[in-house]
Amino acid sequence: MASVELSSSEQTEVEIFPGSPKDRTDAILEVRNLRKYFPIESKSILFSKVVGQIKAVDGIDLQIFKGEILGLVGESGCGKSTLSKTIIGLEKPTTGQVLYRDKDIHHPKSKTESMEVKRNIQMVFQDPYNSLNPRRLVRDTLKEPLIIHKLAPGREEEVVIDMLKKVGLEDYHALRYPHEFSGGQRQRIGLARALIMKPEIIIADEPVSALDVSVQASILNLMQDLQQEFNVSIIFIAHDLSVVKHVSNRVAVMYLGRIVEIGPTDMVFDRPAHPYTVSLLSAIPFPDPDIKKKRIILEGDVPSPVNLPEGCRFAPRCYKAQELCHKEEPMLQEIRPNLWAACHYPEDEKVIFFDVVEEEA
Amino acid sequence: MSSETTHPTHEDVLLDVRDIYTYFRTESGVVKALDGVSFDIRNNEAVGIVGESGCGKSVTAKSILRILPKNGEVVAGEVYYRGVNLLNLTEPQMRTVRGKEIALLFQDPLSSLNPVLSIREQMVDVISLHRGVDEEEAAEIAVKMMKAVGIPEAEQRIDDYPHQYSGGMRQRILIARALALEPRLLIADEPTTALDVTIQAQVLDIIQRMRKELGLSLMLITHNLGVVAENTDRIHVFYGGRVVESGPTRDIFKDPHHPYTIALLESIPSFVKGKGRLATIPGSVPQLINPPSGCRFHPRCKYMTEECKKRPPLEKIGKDRYVACFHVDKVLADRKKSS
Repeated sequence: MASVELSSSEQTEVEIFPGSPKDRTDAILEVRNLRKYFPIESKSILFSKVVGQIKAVDGIDLQIFKGEILGLVGESGCGKSTLSKTIIGLEKPTTGQVLYRDKDIHHPKSKTESMEVKRNIQMVFQDPYNSLNPRRLVRDTLKEPLIIHKLAPGREEEVVIDMLKKVGLEDYHALRYPHEFSGGQRQRIGLARALIMKPEIIIADEPVSALDVSVQASILNLMQDLQQEFNVSIIFIAHDLSVVKHVSNRVAVMYLGRIVEIGPTDMVFDRPAHPYTVSLLSAIPFPDPDIKKKRIILEGDVPSPVNLPEGCRFAPRCYKAQELCHKEEPMLQEIRPNLWAACHYPEDEKVIFFDVVEEEA
Repeated sequence: MSSETTHPTHEDVLLDVRDIYTYFRTESGVVKALDGVSFDIRNNEAVGIVGESGCGKSVTAKSILRILPKNGEVVAGEVYYRGVNLLNLTEPQMRTVRGKEIALLFQDPLSSLNPVLSIREQMVDVISLHRGVDEEEAAEIAVKMMKAVGIPEAEQRIDDYPHQYSGGMRQRILIARALALEPRLLIADEPTTALDVTIQAQVLDIIQRMRKELGLSLMLITHNLGVVAENTDRIHVFYGGRVVESGPTRDIFKDPHHPYTIALLESIPSFVKGKGRLATIPGSVPQLINPPSGCRFHPRCKYMTEECKKRPPLEKIGKDRYVACFHVDKVLADRKKSS
């Protein structure tokens, strides 16, 4: 994959990491050629044999920089969640590595290193109802990681109250159970639980998709505030592209286990290069009846990650596909400064127009 | 409540919901899911029902079709469909309305299909029953409709089972089945919420195309403001079991009058506008077991006064425009100032 070898040289400036902006050298997390396959087994009484592989994540290179919010978008089944689970260590990769400050998170050298990595990568889940233990006081839920990691010996309660206030709750909320909170408040608790570890990276998997629009706005504001205050990096996974556009600095678009386009948010949304990104953006309905746009309606569904099409994975649905696309799989390449896309025929013009049509009512 | 709050009947009205109250009996008390809801849908019109969870959108659809769960009941009001009050019909009469006159499309296409029956069995039965044709003809209609909604190789795929279809394809099957009965009104309850955006675009495209071809009316229930903006002619905004504002789609988006509608529109992250902070609505959606008195929105509203503890009527403020708020003048003055 990484055709440009990540040499052992100390000069990080020389390295070209696919998809990363050249002017940044403060990567804190590196995903290298990551693959996660799930075997499909056919079971009989005596034997079970592997008849196929679900290629959920199929060769991903990605760097996360200090203090950035990276939006990860894609349709269901594109591997967003498997990628995040593998980054946090809930799944073992089939091949490839995830490095947190040069430490392989799946093969820690010592207990201390393992603890350090775990403390620094935290997760916020989609469903604030199922991700909190219903039989535990909020205080105990928040206190436990502090005790395990010995982060504030003797002052745990103080730290818990402090954190609750930071996420917009009150001190008396510490003595309540999860069912006493609304969805939005529970998501605040979820954020508090992640942040209390003072992590460097938070993975937020669809953190606002279970919430109503009016509540969603307050959680997004809070996440942006906390990101600034703690200077934490966030991998923000969402299927709602307007939410991703609002919060993130960089965006990676995934399709069938691969990153097909990655770059600064404004560039990806204003002048996307990959036809998939173009069609994805053109599919979003706009909450403004005056905006008319050219809509590219994709044919068919996302193919199964078991039988991947040959060549470019998107070619069977692509409006630009040529012969080459069905033969040769394109690699991520820099199309415009800092904007990378894996496509043989990237768009070089602005293809989506958001026209404001003046209509007389 | 007062009959002044209902819409005057338009000559073209297909469905006229007048001041309905739907209550649910639960262990913790009576849930007033619909609390005096009035709106209408005209011939060939696409109407959006918009609101957040628990505002009564889906209960409205179920009340119209009388498919409420056992503990729910429409306790007052009228639902006129082509001049007939559906609430007075007998159950056998109602069965001729469901499907044939008013079709319903659910959010989750998998649970609306029987997993152990082939698509053929599920379509042919319904079509031959409602359209009075034999099975062979019903199968022909089914295949024709499946082709119309863009299912490739419909002749073969009709013998497949639901699990052999993807989510978007299942929703197409349901659209095909619903429209094969030639209804006049299609109620689509969050039809694309479970689907990905590219598939959502496909499904909405089909619904719109079929609507034009067959000349049917659409009641589109959704929380997605983008979907309503692009697919409807008029909108009824729901909050806490009531209609708080209604009007032509463009007017609602360009010139919202109710403080809730304004706040809702401001809280969505915009594609076109810059980043900045999102406007938020303090508090959360009301509990309908013990709802706030008067205007349901008043505890979260910045225009709240003593008066708001009384119920504001849904008043006509222009052609097809209705708002339920005592402070419309003040709200509009503020909007003018800020723009």
